[in-house]
Amino acid sequence: MSVGFGNWLDERIGWRKVWDAIFLRKIPKVNWFYTLGSATLFVALLQGITGILLTIYYVPTPDHAYDSVQFITTQVPAGWFIRGVHHWGASAMVLLTVLHMVRVIMYGAYKYPREVTWFTGVGLLLVTMGFGFTGYLLPWDQKAYWATIVGTRIAGVAPFIGEPILRIMRGGEDLSAVTLARFFGTHVWVLPTLLLLLLGFHMYLVIRQGISAVPKRGE
Amino acid sequence: MEEEKEKVSRRNFLAIATGAIGGLIGIVMAIPAVAYVVGPALQRRSQENWVRLGPTSKVELGNPTLFKTVVESQTGWIVSEDEVSVYVLTEDGRDFIALSNICTHLGCRVRWISDQGQYFCPCHNAAFDKFGDVVSGPPPKPLDQFETKVEDDQLFILLGG
Repeated sequence: MSVGFGNWLDERIGWRKVWDAIFLRKIPKVNWFYTLGSATLFVALLQGITGILLTIYYVPTPDHAYDSVQFITTQVPAGWFIRGVHHWGASAMVLLTVLHMVRVIMYGAYKYPREVTWFTGVGLLLVTMGFGFTGYLLPWDQKAYWATIVGTRIAGVAPFIGEPILRIMRGGEDLSAVTLARFFGTHVWVLPTLLLLLLGFHMYLVIRQGISAVPKRGE
Repeated sequence: MEEEKEKVSRRNFLAIATGAIGGLIGIVMAIPAVAYVVGPALQRRSQENWVRLGPTSKVELGNPTLFKTVVESQTGWIVSEDEVSVYVLTEDGRDFIALSNICTHLGCRVRWISDQGQYFCPCHNAAFDKFGDVVSGPPPKPLDQFETKVEDDQLFILLGG
């Protein structure tokens, strides 16, 4: 962007202040572990892009789910790549989220005044787990089917509320077309919405509070 | 002064490096993404194949006769059977003209009205003569013709050509 155009736009929308707040904010001397949050954000972005691309061909019904996934993997140009990135990105998301959390715990970064940042982070962890759980069913192969049978059964063993939870998750007694459709809807509408809300708040807080320094012995 | 200058260039270097790596990642994602979205649109129809309509004896002399045949086709991951309707005309029992029943205007199906000796399209009142040429109405060109061949008194047409 040329300086002239940048100024022109800044007069009208004031982007420089936002840019400076995000990218030129002051940070203490930190180490590479502090990049884990950004790494998680990057993979989340990648998951969003590849996920949107997958929905162009994927059809969430028992008749078509498996075949449309096979079509993506074997017929569509670069389909194997898009699906591959989404598949491995899912594991990377969980891994990076947990590592990011471990860093926050080890450095005590969840303490005053960043408690709310921590709570939204825990919410984001749950959302990530939800993505993993609902996304796992969508290829509708044997592994997906039985993993979801087991996963919903695990929810079902909770005392008193287990049985209703299992039925709500499956949308009935059995794992069926209803289950696939609601897992898909949750995966592509409910969870992304929650993710955006929580993530926006999480990052607002990170920028507002600034990041914590590496704690020193005896402090 | 010297130190000041160095700091700025270091910052610029990091900004450029970040931009370059980001751009590279963007390209690595964007090229497959475009290929992925556009790919199926560039795929040609399945190659041409001869489809059997039926015995030549079924064709009435001088009067278009309707043949229906089922053709298997694959779109995406779905294999479907489509009915193809073809009007066949012969004046001498040896040479055959096979006409598509799809109106060249907007794709409605035309019907042979033997009283009037014309094909009629109900959508916009188009009429074609028995050779498929436009008599009246909006169609821009005559009905499509299929290549035909006869083997052992069986009539074949070439689809997807």
